[in-house]
Amino acid sequence: MKETVIETRDLVKEYRGRAAVEHLNLNIGKGEIYGFLGPNGAGKTTTIRMLLGLIKPTSGSIEIFGQGLRRNKLQILRKVGSLVESPSYYGHLSALDNLEAIRRILDVPKSRIAEVLDIVSLTGEEKRPVKGFSLGMKQRLGIAAALLGSPELLILDEPTNGLDPSGIQEIRSLIKRLPVEEGITVLVSSHLLSEIEQMAGTVGIIRSGQMVYQDTIAHLQQQAAGDLRIAVSEPEEALILAGRRGCSGTLQEGRITLPRMSDARVALLIKELVENGHAIYRIEEHRQSLEEFFLQVVEGGQSL
Amino acid sequence: MAIFWRVLSAERLKISKSFIWLLVIGSPVIAVFIGALANMEEEGRPITWQVLLGVMSMAHALLFLPILTGIFAALICRTEHVDGGWKMLLSLPVTRSSVYFAKYTMVMGLLAAVQLLFFVALMGVGVVRGVDGPVPWMLFVSSVFGGWFACLPLAALQMAVSLNWSSFGAPLALNVSLTIPNMLIANSSTYGPYYPWVQPLLAMSPFGKEKFGAFNLPMESLMLVVFGSLIIFMAAGLFSFWRKAV
Repeated sequence: MKETVIETRDLVKEYRGRAAVEHLNLNIGKGEIYGFLGPNGAGKTTTIRMLLGLIKPTSGSIEIFGQGLRRNKLQILRKVGSLVESPSYYGHLSALDNLEAIRRILDVPKSRIAEVLDIVSLTGEEKRPVKGFSLGMKQRLGIAAALLGSPELLILDEPTNGLDPSGIQEIRSLIKRLPVEEGITVLVSSHLLSEIEQMAGTVGIIRSGQMVYQDTIAHLQQQAAGDLRIAVSEPEEALILAGRRGCSGTLQEGRITLPRMSDARVALLIKELVENGHAIYRIEEHRQSLEEFFLQVVEGGQSL
Repeated sequence: MAIFWRVLSAERLKISKSFIWLLVIGSPVIAVFIGALANMEEEGRPITWQVLLGVMSMAHALLFLPILTGIFAALICRTEHVDGGWKMLLSLPVTRSSVYFAKYTMVMGLLAAVQLLFFVALMGVGVVRGVDGPVPWMLFVSSVFGGWFACLPLAALQMAVSLNWSSFGAPLALNVSLTIPNMLIANSSTYGPYYPWVQPLLAMSPFGKEKFGAFNLPMESLMLVVFGSLIIFMAAGLFSFWRKAV
């Protein structure tokens, strides 16, 4: 059993009676990249703000590093680096001074600034005022600021929002490197499944404030895997034959549609069909894309 | 306490590259002009240091000092309101009260710099233009310090408003609209003693003996009004900041 870094129990946040987050139970293990997935307005940022103590939960508890957030906020926040929504910065200051302002509060050695600038490859730009930076550079500066205190947990809210493809690629590879090289646990939120799929090991999907799915990406991919479709010369008879062999399916658009099965069983079934005189025109595996599956989940079309 | 000093040090850095110093020297420079243009003779004799203080401190204490308090508070909070600074600052290991007091200390520190410069301006004008009599050190120290001290509650109120309103203009509008009535209230012996915005003027003015309107006041009552309003405004500011959703 892996050590748990973030655990929330029955977390609720209500705004004027309307629940933004409802009975959320997050469970994030050490060294994981946890993808926090959901459409805009599902409650991702609200949850993250509660995890950082920026807003108070209406009810429920939050434990980070095994300690209650309410009582041990300072010790916990010392070990957490974060980037919430759009990047935060002081525009009139240079990147160097922005990091220095944070460094003075965190009380880490000055050399750490050069290190984090190097990690996000901003070295050489650090003397310019940040207001002249591109969005991607501001975002990278935000990540540098989050890394400054050598955190054990990194919370990144939509870190690739508004970036161009190369910027997305850069941030993604940076995030993937962190748990491996520095042993950091990462919570990264996004509204794009493709984003999370390429980074995270575990995924939690939130829909209108409720967790609807929480498992590994591999398991999600399995669930999303589709069915087997076979086109034969006499579909009705073939379907009855398949049913007799324990493969009950349906007829869709003149094709036999069967649930996923092992390669051995597929081979056996095909052999059987051929031996019984069916001509087989086509065998295909219809894969539902993960994106379709995700949409079904967030639109409430499928319960898990 | 260690957290307070760290936040304060970060606050210093944040304003170091801004033009806030122009505001710090502004009011003392205007006071120099007023002093330079003032009539330096009364009934054929050179004026006294007391009269010079009265002339130079009038606009400074009546208008500029209370208004600067509001501007400084708004500027100190503005760095966080634009571009999401609150989220970044408050997700660091800091307590909200240490952030509040660090910012409050910055405002009062800037006002202290203004008062010191005013003191320098006063001495400069007096020496250059030749004022009669020895320097009344006690009066000057109590005037300069008293003016600063009377700004404590104003700074607390402006901090409370600036922390909670993301707009830069609204706290200033409130500040100015509370400061303008000073011109009338200063002359009222009924309302003057209790109106916090007029206290800097009462504390700085040298008319201890001339006694008119609200100037006819012992130091104790001034202290009481300043302390009372300070406690109320500071409690309100701290409480709302503790509860602020970021």
